Amino acid sequence: MSPVLVWLVKCIVIYGGLITVAAAMSLAERKVSAWIQFRIGPNRVGPWGLLQPLADGVKFIFKEELIPEGANPTLFRLAPLLSAIPAMLAIAVIPFAGEFSILGQDMGTLSIADLDISVLYVIAIGGLGVYGVILGGWSSNSKYSLLGGLRASAQMVSYELSLILCILVVVVLSGTLDLRQIVADQSGAIWNWNLFALPVGPVAFVLFVIATFAETNRHPFDFAECEPELVGGFHTEYSSMKFALFFLGEYCAMTVMSCLTTVFFLGGGNVPFWPEAPWFMQLGCFLTKMGFFLFLFIWVRWTLPRLRFDQLMALGWKVMLPISIVNLFVTGGLLSLGWF
Amino acid sequence: MVIVKRKELSFSEKLYLPQILQALSHSLRAIFKPKITRQYPEEPLQTTEVTRGQPRLALLEDSQNLACVSCGLCEAACPAYAITIDGQETDRFIEREPERFEIDMLRCILCGFCEEACPKDAIFMSGELELADFTRAALVYDIDKLKRPKEKLQKRIDYFYQVNNRWRKPSSTS
Repeated sequence: MSPVLVWLVKCIVIYGGLITVAAAMSLAERKVSAWIQFRIGPNRVGPWGLLQPLADGVKFIFKEELIPEGANPTLFRLAPLLSAIPAMLAIAVIPFAGEFSILGQDMGTLSIADLDISVLYVIAIGGLGVYGVILGGWSSNSKYSLLGGLRASAQMVSYELSLILCILVVVVLSGTLDLRQIVADQSGAIWNWNLFALPVGPVAFVLFVIATFAETNRHPFDFAECEPELVGGFHTEYSSMKFALFFLGEYCAMTVMSCLTTVFFLGGGNVPFWPEAPWFMQLGCFLTKMGFFLFLFIWVRWTLPRLRFDQLMALGWKVMLPISIVNLFVTGGLLSLGWF
Repeated sequence: MVIVKRKELSFSEKLYLPQILQALSHSLRAIFKPKITRQYPEEPLQTTEVTRGQPRLALLEDSQNLACVSCGLCEAACPAYAITIDGQETDRFIEREPERFEIDMLRCILCGFCEEACPKDAIFMSGELELADFTRAALVYDIDKLKRPKEKLQKRIDYFYQVNNRWRKPSSTS
């Protein structure tokens, strides 16, 4: 097969998978939240409620699209795209598994692109996500949306610092900006994972997970939405497929962040103690780890109450940022002393 | 003035992570606990004789004629003006029966005053609660929709006498 065709197939499979995971997450979110509250959750559409995302999609498509009076129509239409597309783009460099072949055809590695600066790419694309939120809030010409957008952008910018500093710890440990190299660096035994790179690994891991929650605007940091105070936040004025796009963006961002946590700290597709595992085992291992973090997103949502905004800012700037910086310096110091 | 002394938090409490893990384990355990959801259309609400549902007209033992003699007491007692009765004469022993007996279920507040007012044990609050239709007119129930064999209402009738025995004696016709 020609390389272009191979690349096209990978694109379709991986993006199709991403959309499917996002759709499944919308069902899982409702199911798990129901279980935690002693309820059953959606079970009417299809067996076990499995067709609920499809029903939701059909409903979204047939809803009327409204653009509020006084809104900026161009930016109003652009904002959902700016929210969804960057979230999806980052999946392109995630190394799900190593070399693989189907029906004897060599398909290369199981990721759309193997950049040697993929960490940089992920950070850059991830930083774009804030535009969708702030533009959506601002262009709606609604005070609640504007407040939600402002708060979310302030939060995303401040937590991105800690997020990137935690990624830098991993980059220092692995000595590369290539996600695939970072994964390869953690192969073999389970204690090769960056999570267990004592003493800095666990600290970076915890900070990274907290920062991903803030980056994706999830509980307990969901200041973008804040249903009780802001009647929905930045997407208050959105309806129909535009609203769905914001949600798609949120779920894609969650999926990407789960993938990144897996890659950076849990050894990506490495099967513990089995470095030469076949590609489908690697993929399964990757998806299991990713699934755990996706579940964690929902699990935390129904466990922790939302922070107050000043608490959020205090946590971001006074606690997480100093710890991240110290953590990074300790990593560098230990590395120069030959600890790792 | 009250000076509230705030408790000094220990290091692990300031870290919040142990508490967060505790809370997570709590909500994880909740997932596996039995569910309290009732699957409504398949599992209807369990009603007892105490349930004060929609009023229904009791038939006599012959399952043909209503016990109602169209005296109009329930119509007068109804605080929501939901009941409309037109009476007519009959050759039967009780001499009068309703020609028209309508309860506007959209007006009915299920208070049970009609049941208490009735001297002939003709109207009782049944356990039926479901009320849905496409037009308002269809929710004005006439005799055909209201009449129930006495056996269906027997539990309610027994309960009614049990609580009212102190001041009420069984009526002669029932």
